[in-house]
Amino acid sequence: MAALKILLVEHEIGRLAPLKAALDSQGYRVEASEHARLLHDHVMQFEPDVVIVGVDSPDRDTLEGLCVMNQDCPRPVVMFSGDGDPQAIRAAIQAGVVSYVVDGVDPARIRPVLDVAIAQFQAYRALHENLAHVRRELQESKLISQAKSRLMRELGLSEPEAYHRMRRHAMKQQQRIAQVAERIATAGRLDFLA
Amino acid sequence: MNDEAKGQTADRGQQQFTQKTMGSSDAGLLMGMVAPGIRSAAWAGGSDKPEKSTVNIGFIPLTDCASVAMAAVKGFDRKYGLTITPSRQASWAAVRDKLASGELDASHVLYGLVYGVQMGVGGPQKDMAVLMTLSNNGQGITLANHFKGKGVTDGASLAKLIGARSRHEPGDPGRGGAYTFAQTFPTGTHAMWLYYWLAAHGIDPLAQTRLITVPPPQMVANMRAASMDGFCVGEPWNARAIQDGIGFTAATSQDIWADHPEKVLGTTREFAERYPNTARAMIMALLEASRYVDTLSHRTEVAEVIAGRAYIDTDPGTIEDRMLGRYSDGLGRTWRDRHFMKFCDDGRVNFPYLSDGMWFLTQHRRWGLLKQDPDYRSVASGVNQIKLYREAAAQVRVPLPETEMRSSTLIDGVVWDGSDPKAYAGGFAIHA
Repeated sequence: MAALKILLVEHEIGRLAPLKAALDSQGYRVEASEHARLLHDHVMQFEPDVVIVGVDSPDRDTLEGLCVMNQDCPRPVVMFSGDGDPQAIRAAIQAGVVSYVVDGVDPARIRPVLDVAIAQFQAYRALHENLAHVRRELQESKLISQAKSRLMRELGLSEPEAYHRMRRHAMKQQQRIAQVAERIATAGRLDFLA
Repeated sequence: MNDEAKGQTADRGQQQFTQKTMGSSDAGLLMGMVAPGIRSAAWAGGSDKPEKSTVNIGFIPLTDCASVAMAAVKGFDRKYGLTITPSRQASWAAVRDKLASGELDASHVLYGLVYGVQMGVGGPQKDMAVLMTLSNNGQGITLANHFKGKGVTDGASLAKLIGARSRHEPGDPGRGGAYTFAQTFPTGTHAMWLYYWLAAHGIDPLAQTRLITVPPPQMVANMRAASMDGFCVGEPWNARAIQDGIGFTAATSQDIWADHPEKVLGTTREFAERYPNTARAMIMALLEASRYVDTLSHRTEVAEVIAGRAYIDTDPGTIEDRMLGRYSDGLGRTWRDRHFMKFCDDGRVNFPYLSDGMWFLTQHRRWGLLKQDPDYRSVASGVNQIKLYREAAAQVRVPLPETEMRSSTLIDGVVWDGSDPKAYAGGFAIHA
């Protein structure tokens, strides 16, 4: 059986590379397309059996256009079709991946492709969420120390006193301490703390 | 023409809107203070409390998403017991799928797309619902600057150029060396405006041009990269093309059809049936927001809000001019457009006219997206939630029209009044 031809469409190359490598290693013929304006031609020339695209990729509309205007182009069969496996569909959406499959390709051959895609997208997402979390924490602790030094400087408080003052205000306002710190760090006057 | 349609032909004038509007948003404010029990007397039985009080409403970064944004920003949602979370989407395909999966409860969406899904064009069929129309006008057709050098400034001169090319390339139906035009979704409004405009000038869009689909925020970048010769899209992207010095406005969508229906508040039939109170509350909040956005003195503020990163992410100036009807075409002509983007117009914009819904079906039929004539009227009656709309509009004192059809004359002089959709759909010289 000839190897399935898979076209990966994604704006963020970082998200694409591990998936491409994973699919390559499974013996599929994989090409990647990063630009919307080239996608049309890419689909026409490479004639993929399957196109895998991120749920939130703007290029999905370009694919839709191809599907409707050209009968022999990739057609969406995975999402929301009556005969699709609802579990697989839900997993694909949650992972942020959609696949478009040419009519007539055996669904059984698609499933492992999707499984790999889903796993890769999930791994990528987890990595990024983790990174975003770490960045946010870093940013917040920077704000808190800025706010603390301003309180120490302008109100003559000790470090524990400054922190305590922020925490008390945060509890009173039902805000997170980082929100209070941001306000302290950026406000013109500190009257609101009174 | 039947009597109902005749009454419509006059003009979408004040006489159809018999109920007088109360000044500004006072009416809504008053209604908001009336006890819920009294308000609910308008519809039979039960509580009018939204069954689902938090709703995700999708939108695509476009000027006409303004009422969805302002409903949340200005707190019109909370007045009706709702919390609206506007949710920015990257593609119309995502809007469609997330409506179907329930991830979005409703969305700012292309009128034609809702009907495409209803008819199962290009994908699975799903029963859909239009709760109200969100906007009229304010889309446009941009041509790339290279056309200036070829003497093309409008539809007529474009037809002359394309006609001449086809004649010089015998055996080539035009696709090979054809110009590339982009629209935003195959069943959507921009595809229909673009095809209608080209055909009105004698250009067969399917045979003489190469058509591609590109999401609105990517239009300008794609034209800059020289892969596209023209596009049809909503503002602010036509204005942005002029600002960036890459194209000019060859036509506005209101040139094609003055006060045409454009975006709707769309959801699934299942949602509308399962959560009627929520649907009604959404309509009420959006009607108030529409009225707010339609007040010209608010539009500078609105432009600033929707220009923000959470919405369109562009310079407010790019949005504001055309939102206020101040147009320039990038070829030196400037004008005040009477048919600029409208959001309420005393309810003329918002009523989900059956004839508006049917029009998209006639064009889907014309361009071969539908292989057969559907039962136009019955499809539109199922999709457009006129009953829910009437109940909601009465609550917020937005005037209602007397009839469910309206009459318009389009750019080619053909009148559309919804009276004979099958004959209308089949009556165009240029078609698939």
